[in-house]
Amino acid sequence: MAEASFEFRLERMFAEAPAAPDADLFAAIVMSRLDRGWTARRALIGGMGLVGGVIGVTQLVGSDAFAHLQTAAGRANDILTQELASAMPPGLPLGDLALEVQVIWMAGALAIVAAGFGIARLFREI
Amino acid sequence: MASRLTLASAHDLDLAAQCRAGDRAAFGELVRRHGSAVRTFVRRMGADSATADDVAQDAFLTAFEQIADFRGEGAFQGWLKRIAGRAYARRWRREGRLDGAGAADEQGDASVTAQESGAAARIDLDEALKSLPDSERLCVSLCYGAGLSHAEAAAALNAPLGTVKSHVKRGLDRLRQRLSPGDDDGQRRQVNG
Repeated sequence: MAEASFEFRLERMFAEAPAAPDADLFAAIVMSRLDRGWTARRALIGGMGLVGGVIGVTQLVGSDAFAHLQTAAGRANDILTQELASAMPPGLPLGDLALEVQVIWMAGALAIVAAGFGIARLFREI
Repeated sequence: MASRLTLASAHDLDLAAQCRAGDRAAFGELVRRHGSAVRTFVRRMGADSATADDVAQDAFLTAFEQIADFRGEGAFQGWLKRIAGRAYARRWRREGRLDGAGAADEQGDASVTAQESGAAARIDLDEALKSLPDSERLCVSLCYGAGLSHAEAAAALNAPLGTVKSHVKRGLDRLRQRLSPGDDDGQRRQVNG
């Protein structure tokens, strides 16, 4: 019983600690070390992303992927234009609108950017 | 300013939850709140001031990395102290100091005897811990300051469980002698007489 009581007393004494006068300075040092670590990590991830991106682009260019994509996009554009022309009523001015490949690419890019914003917002909310 | 005030009044659990979401200001508040306790604890384990600050800083950085592991089952400060205790034990292990504990114990015994004969000043926990041999001081601090079990302390020190248990037992016996209420009374009698 006395043993347990002394152990309890010892734990309580360990829990008591005086406040250090330089507590704010200590906190500032820890936070600056944390920032340094994050900056280094971000630089490392950025560097690795850059290297990966360069390798990816090199591979894409080397395998004529852009030419294949352009051909596929052209074909898709033709099909889309035909489908739109047949679906539109004859008197509607939109039916005369010629769909360029660039327009489809831009619409796609805008959709991706919008989706990116949406996902970022979702993460922030979570 | 308002956000600083909000953080200052927030509970540790809420701040830890904010840290999990990546809020570093919340973590800064936790460091301000518990920094002194963790540094004091590491010093009580036997570290000098500079080492204690290093170990405490490392402990806080580790805590930020592992904040997802803190489930709020115990006090946040206890969790921090366990991280700091293990970090300091790792240093001990690297330096192979537990292997030389036998020699240190002999020195410790001598210093205890010398201090016991003097005993003019009021003995508090810090002074009492200083009178222990290093290995006993570390083992007692790990178990009663950080709340590690004997087995956890043995694992942290990579030492046999029996060694840790005997260090804790001897350390407790010495502390009981130094911190017993009769000690204060005896000193008071000496002063009055």
